[in-house]
Amino acid sequence: MNVDQLAQVLRADQDFMENVTRWEVLPARPARYADYPDGLDERLREVLRKRGIHQLYTHQAQAVQRVLAGEDVVVVTPTASGKTMCYNLPVLSAILKNPDARALYLFPTKALSADQVSELYEMIEQAGVDIKTFTYDGDTPAAARRAVRQAGHIVVTNPDMLHSGILPHHTKWVKLFENLRYIVIDEIHTYRGVFGSNLTNVLRRLMRLCAFYGSHPQFILCSATIANPRELAETLTGRPVSLIDDNGAPAGERHFVFYNPPVVNRQLGIRKGVVPEVRAISGMLLKNGIQAITFARSRLVVEVLTRYLKDMVRDPMGNAGRVRGYRGGYLPTQRREIERGLRAGQIDAVVSTNALELGIDIGALDACVLCGYPGTIASAWQQAGRAGRRKSTSIVFFVASSAAIDQYIVNHPDYFLRQSPENALLNPDNLYILLSHFKCAAFELPFEDGDSFGNAPAPEEYLSFLEESHILHHAEGRWHWSAEDFPASEISLRSAASENFIIIDITDAGHHRVIGEMDRYTVPMLLHENAIYMHEGRQYQVEKLDFDACKAYIRQVDVDYYTDADLNVSLSLLDIEDSAEEQGFARALGEVKVTSLVTMFKKIKFDTHETLGFGHVRLPEMDMHTTACWWTLPDSLCARFEADALQGGMLGIANLMRIVAPLYLMCSPQDIAVIYQVRSPITDKPTIILYDNCPGGVGLAQKAYGMQGLLLEKCLDIVSRCTCALGCPSCVGPVGEVGADGKKTAIAVLQAWVQPAGVTP
Amino acid sequence: MNLRDKLRAVSAPAPRPAPKPQPAASDCWRKEITRPLEEFPGAFDLSRDTLMLMQAEELPRPLDPTRILYLDTETTGLNGGAGTVAFQVGLGWLREDGFHVRQLVMRDYPEERYLLREVEAAVEDADVLCTFNGRTFDVPLLRSRFLMNRMDPDVLDAPPHIDLLHIARRVFKLRLRRCNLGNLEAQVLGIPREDDLPGAEVPERYFRYLRTGEFALLDDVLRHNEQDIASLCVLLNRMTWLYDHPERLGHSEDLFAMGVALERAKHVEEARRCYRLLPSGALHAQGQLRMAAGYRREGSRAEAARLWREMISRGEGGVTPFIELAKHYEHFERDIPRALEMTREALVRAAEPRLAPDAEAEAQLEALEKRYQRLKKKEQAQRKSGADDVPY
Repeated sequence: MNVDQLAQVLRADQDFMENVTRWEVLPARPARYADYPDGLDERLREVLRKRGIHQLYTHQAQAVQRVLAGEDVVVVTPTASGKTMCYNLPVLSAILKNPDARALYLFPTKALSADQVSELYEMIEQAGVDIKTFTYDGDTPAAARRAVRQAGHIVVTNPDMLHSGILPHHTKWVKLFENLRYIVIDEIHTYRGVFGSNLTNVLRRLMRLCAFYGSHPQFILCSATIANPRELAETLTGRPVSLIDDNGAPAGERHFVFYNPPVVNRQLGIRKGVVPEVRAISGMLLKNGIQAITFARSRLVVEVLTRYLKDMVRDPMGNAGRVRGYRGGYLPTQRREIERGLRAGQIDAVVSTNALELGIDIGALDACVLCGYPGTIASAWQQAGRAGRRKSTSIVFFVASSAAIDQYIVNHPDYFLRQSPENALLNPDNLYILLSHFKCAAFELPFEDGDSFGNAPAPEEYLSFLEESHILHHAEGRWHWSAEDFPASEISLRSAASENFIIIDITDAGHHRVIGEMDRYTVPMLLHENAIYMHEGRQYQVEKLDFDACKAYIRQVDVDYYTDADLNVSLSLLDIEDSAEEQGFARALGEVKVTSLVTMFKKIKFDTHETLGFGHVRLPEMDMHTTACWWTLPDSLCARFEADALQGGMLGIANLMRIVAPLYLMCSPQDIAVIYQVRSPITDKPTIILYDNCPGGVGLAQKAYGMQGLLLEKCLDIVSRCTCALGCPSCVGPVGEVGADGKKTAIAVLQAWVQPAGVTP
Repeated sequence: MNLRDKLRAVSAPAPRPAPKPQPAASDCWRKEITRPLEEFPGAFDLSRDTLMLMQAEELPRPLDPTRILYLDTETTGLNGGAGTVAFQVGLGWLREDGFHVRQLVMRDYPEERYLLREVEAAVEDADVLCTFNGRTFDVPLLRSRFLMNRMDPDVLDAPPHIDLLHIARRVFKLRLRRCNLGNLEAQVLGIPREDDLPGAEVPERYFRYLRTGEFALLDDVLRHNEQDIASLCVLLNRMTWLYDHPERLGHSEDLFAMGVALERAKHVEEARRCYRLLPSGALHAQGQLRMAAGYRREGSRAEAARLWREMISRGEGGVTPFIELAKHYEHFERDIPRALEMTREALVRAAEPRLAPDAEAEAQLEALEKRYQRLKKKEQAQRKSGADDVPY
């Protein structure tokens, strides 16, 4: 069955259509072309002609033209619109004109680099010219590195390698730095939050070195669709960047189906689980031979769904290679094998976390199933973009979970279909991040008095602080690195924690093997002792977690449950930056220390999802300094409620805030955290606290603080429109959590807050 | 909280005394030392031909031992990277009146450029540069410092460079495992160091000096560096002497390793000399096998066969000489019956029971079985075709 036939069948299926809240058909889009731009090297025109490309898409032509005219550009391109031409053409053209010219390509992951290099090779080979392109990353053999440094015209790498492998050793890269003409950064939408803030500083360091070596490179950036590509590009590069977003690439017709699982308990607002529904839809696609990708939000759900789908197609030997799981934590070789299998059509179904959201080439698939809302509009479009061929029809199913944000989206498809996707927010001047990069920059090249560091604030403050700490030494107007450390090795660009844990399978006593790795902050949740850890659909039990050595030892098991850990969070105040008060309702912005601790976990049965039992976890606390904003209730208001009711109401407001804040802060839900405290150690009063979920913060709490009462108004809006009786997951949370008076109290508190004049409804 | 307080809250630095201001200087600190020639036996007899056996770099002809520059640096870190500085450089020359050592120290970062200029002049003036691990450490680091100070780093690569680490390692690694300079001094030169400052503590000394201004903190560093420089010259002379007199190498491991090094560098006759000097034992057998393999490669098959036969008569080398002879008889002399005989002998020895499973031995046994079967067939075919020109 093809997609068109499937769409027809489903539309005729009453039971299915009952749960569909919207069936949107995005029409096919024809291609728009433009002539080769002037200045494009004749040898490249020849290659294009040989490939049967006699004209470029409009956005490609524009990009090439502007780059050749000397502008820094950012090109916004949806999946499969031929974006690589936008940078390969001008870069190759420049190198052909001047064989000394060099270019640096940055991709967020190694996998992407490998993909792009093979495409570049092809083009160079067809042109029959001597342009050397090399990948320089952790996998580059030591023997080959010298050649890359000396002879590579185009060096392809990732931000991490640039940060720790190239910049600190810049004297070995003289040829590159002296002749650097272009810096190409692909997938810039991935550089938000901590990663983007780090990359901005890595680029500040890069530009300092370029200035030292006397080169003035131009930037070519590419981004998937986000709300603020130009702003992001300008923050990253610290320069004005011109925007190219007139996409001329064609696309086939696309069906977008919003599916809401049926309600099973109206009173409690409980719907059928998203996992079984996705299991059915993805299973239907698998049975009909429609190649599909299913995106799940957590590694756990990926593993559960992979197992379900594998069970549907197992051969007598128990193998089910047509169905594969894919997520961070799988080893690179395994991932490459899955990607190849997808391109070659040997794999019919893949279940993935957002690890496959990036531009990794897996070919275009026929269908995509989103198991829950991925958290942002940008992500959702990126994931949906995995299904979509240039000529034939494709279909995307969004299956809503009972999470409030999912319910909001499935009931307001227009919010998703019409609203522009999120802003990518970053804060390169985050204290932690900036301080670390000042160290790296000083290591690479001494600062001189009066030097700036990109547009970072108060460089002298940082430098003299570092001198106080015996890290820099000031002499004759220069700040010299005077420590033994290698500062770049102390920072990981992608998260605040530097070292990852490795996961070791000890099932076979004679043959321990490493099967994956995990970042420090996730470990207490998923790899505590006795946790059931799932990998490629197989179950393992964690036997020992060696926290100091960063190792988890696991053994294969076969049980009918999975585990889910409880995270306890406490907060202490470091500093208040700003505060305001209106009629007893106070709000404030400041810095806090967040201490998180996992103390127990639940065992949950497969299929029925009932809780089978509990276990204790003994792990050290983890500390994080970050930025928070909080809202405080006046005592007079609190006095109106019973203690239990107040607690339920606060919990309800926190839940509402978790739904509302990401929508209006335009971030993904995991970027922030919201907690409530009935008697907060910060304010000594009942308080709702929202904080940036990364060390130092990226500016989300500031933004929330600046919105004043808006977020509370929106909370009130959602809870007062919700049709449930006493609370459901779509508003304050289920009645079992917030109590019988929770919803009522939440509404009363929010009303008092939003209309502080004391107007009672 | 202001920014400074926040920074302190983030990473709390230790309080410390204010650094003593350094006098602004237009040169770096320096010290000249002359050590008596008795410490450098044979230093003037350095033979260019022998040096060419030890390393491949083309050396000037004639080689003037007083135009070799010995160089060693002390640095602010061992990890490399653009932030690592050579705060102290020792230079050494052999002179008629003794071994001269010049030690340069940058008393503060602004003096680095004077220190580097002095190094530049010394290297430009030298015919040969001699270091210990300078190829991977000192020279790349100085290159980086030259670049950072906008000087031409290629000056450093102009003279031929003798890196004693590689030379010494090729001969002594098999026996000593660790071939750092201190260990070589103790084990090869017979002059163990006392109260030496461990290299890992050097950077910390310098930083403490920078903070306190107490130059005496660097005394140990300077002593360490002076000894390093002097040892370079002694070691170079010692190595050439040993290459001239391999019979004076007291350990078979060293002799064998020198043979292998010479053989790899295509100095075949000199290598054979080492192998022949080996006393009987496992390494002697290995030497004989390498020699025979060398003869076979160069086409002197009879000579190779003679060596294998001698090994068998001495009961040396286990199964290998039998296998080699079997190949020799089969492919070169086309003497199938003798090839068979050798294979049979090899099989008898290879099939001896072993205590522990040994995959390599298993594979060898299997290969022998195959060889045996193949030779059997060949023998039968020869007999049938009547091409039986082998005396039976």
